[in-house]
Amino acid sequence: MYQTDESTWILNKEIASELMKTGGQTRGVAFKTDIDYVLKEKGEDGVKTVEKKLAESGLVIKYKDIETMKYYPMGLRAVSLLAIKNSFGFTKQDIRNMGVVAPKISLIIKFFMQYFMSPERTFKEVPKMWKKHHTVGEIEPVKFDEQNKESIVRIKNFKLHPIFCCFLTGYFSTIVKMIERTTQIGVCEETKCPFLGDEYHEYVIRW
Amino acid sequence: MAEEIKTSEKILEKEKHKSEEENKENISLLEDLSSLESYARELFSFSPLPICFASPIGVILEINPAFERLSGFGAYEIIGEPIENFFRKDDVADFSKETLEKGFVKERELHFNTKEKGEILVSAFSQIRKVKEGETIGYFISFFDLTEVKKSEVELKNSQTALLNMLEDVEQARKKSDEERNKTVAIVTNLADGLLVFDTENNLSTTNPLSEKIFDIKGRDVVGRSFRELETFPTMKPLIEILEKNSKKQLFREELNLREDMILEVSSVFMTSEEKRTGTLVVLHNITREKVVEKMKSEFVSLAAHQLRTPLSAIKWTLSMLLDGDLGTLTQDQRSFLEKTYTSNERMITLINDLLDSTRIEEGRYVYRPILSDIKTQVQTVVDNFQEEIKKRGLKIEIKIPNKDLPKVRIDEEKIRLVVENFLDNAIKYSSIGGVLGVVIEKGKNEIKVSVSNLGIGIAEEQKKRVFSKFFRGSNAIKTETEGTGLGLFISKNIIEAHGGQIGFESEEGKQTTFFFTIPIKEEFEEFLKDF
Repeated sequence: MYQTDESTWILNKEIASELMKTGGQTRGVAFKTDIDYVLKEKGEDGVKTVEKKLAESGLVIKYKDIETMKYYPMGLRAVSLLAIKNSFGFTKQDIRNMGVVAPKISLIIKFFMQYFMSPERTFKEVPKMWKKHHTVGEIEPVKFDEQNKESIVRIKNFKLHPIFCCFLTGYFSTIVKMIERTTQIGVCEETKCPFLGDEYHEYVIRW
Repeated sequence: MAEEIKTSEKILEKEKHKSEEENKENISLLEDLSSLESYARELFSFSPLPICFASPIGVILEINPAFERLSGFGAYEIIGEPIENFFRKDDVADFSKETLEKGFVKERELHFNTKEKGEILVSAFSQIRKVKEGETIGYFISFFDLTEVKKSEVELKNSQTALLNMLEDVEQARKKSDEERNKTVAIVTNLADGLLVFDTENNLSTTNPLSEKIFDIKGRDVVGRSFRELETFPTMKPLIEILEKNSKKQLFREELNLREDMILEVSSVFMTSEEKRTGTLVVLHNITREKVVEKMKSEFVSLAAHQLRTPLSAIKWTLSMLLDGDLGTLTQDQRSFLEKTYTSNERMITLINDLLDSTRIEEGRYVYRPILSDIKTQVQTVVDNFQEEIKKRGLKIEIKIPNKDLPKVRIDEEKIRLVVENFLDNAIKYSSIGGVLGVVIEKGKNEIKVSVSNLGIGIAEEQKKRVFSKFFRGSNAIKTETEGTGLGLFISKNIIEAHGGQIGFESEEGKQTTFFFTIPIKEEFEEFLKDF
């Protein structure tokens, strides 16, 4: 079982093989957001480095060939993040930053722009957003308190890798920022996690 | 049972086929969607104008690369941020409100914040986006940088201002030019002299009323015409002949006896601008009246002189008889008085003779009788005649004459002696006591030069120009010697010029003076005769 300690977030053939057995699928757009970030931070050579890392773990993948709307194995999502982290020695914060950036360039999110008219409505549409991205797990909007500037969401029936939990903290904070029109990025904390023995993931977002 | 199984298998087969068909359709839809996404992204990226899409609450959800380039921020720094982070708050609040209310804004100047250049002015357009249910889900903003446009506007405005200033200056210059032109026209029109202006090709370009009156012509008939054409106007022909004869001269002045009642002094000068000839100005000064007065004066002087000379001659002979004792012996006192009277009478006769000579010169009646003569003899004769006077005045004379024979020259001996007499008489009268007089004869290449010098009062600088004028006497000369007609040098100048020679002097006031004249040496008799 994977640990929340980032020093254990390594990628090798065994881990890659194990992760690829995870059930469910995710849209190609997720990998596009990953590689856009790498391209911005590390350039073309960075992309090659990541692809080389993936090849070393037994997965020959060319990011440019990934199609935005096509489904790919859910496990590949964690493998991609681990390959990036391991290629450049990224910290948790870097992975979180990748999550912060992802909604900004996600095509799926752009499809949901029509729901960004009000925070409440957007919050209610979050499960749909999840469903459009993934074929596994469900997201449950638990609380949206605009007055106290706090919201809670839970992800159930979903257990991939702690690196993805970290990625989602960044992701949710941007979503809130986009619907709440705050100038500061919100703080998102995973308060419950299956990798810590909980039944589900719970994210508390404050802004 | 077997039938049922077969039917189930058929159904399953059919479902499987149906599922495969649906799957194929989904894949096709996905491919179309990906293609559409790629197309939309490329289209969005292609636009050179910055474009962004903002949510109804004013959060930027999408931008194109041109937006990134102009702002200097990356997409990650822009997307998800409130729109007022990139546009001046007041501007964009009204702009967004109007967009959401009206559905669009056609053109509005906004202040756009950039990373490198700070705030810049842009011209923005907006258009809302609605879903099919009619709900507004955001709005597009497109804009273009007005920096260069504004800069050009400022430059254009400056240029316009400069141009207006220039036009104003030109207008002022034109007005001034018009004023000057009017002044010039007024001057030309009212000029007391006739005026003609010719261009560089000698075509008449301007006349004034007086010139038209003088030649009895109309400006419109003659302006633009050449010398050759103007010669066909009988009244103008004499003038054109003079102008043609002197056409190469930058400046000349000549008398034109147009008709009995019209004598003109024609003055012509080249007009230049920036050292380039622009034409010729001809001024026609009517000197008819002056000439008539001058003639009357000459006639009067001539008449008076003639009338005076007869009694003066009679007086001279009577006095001469008395002094010779033909009418009886005279006492010493009587002789003294009569001698003074005789001298005064002689002076009077000299004056009368000078006056008659000058009137003859002016009237062109001064007769010259040139012969081939030795000028040295003429000079020596005069010097000999003055020896007694020189001695009486306590002066010395030094004569320098070349040893070898000088060529003979064509002269009127009597007139040339008169010139030498005038020079020597003046030199004696205005010499310092004990001074030395000098008489020099020199042979030049084409002329013989005779100089007479003295040490004496000299000629004041400011009076030098008038030395050869009629009746002129230097102010210091009048103080030194009260006697004198002021006609000697005037007559001398005319005599020498009639011989084709030159006359002149060099003088330093209070020190010395040298007068000289030259007579040309001419080999050909025919050529010589031409001068007389």
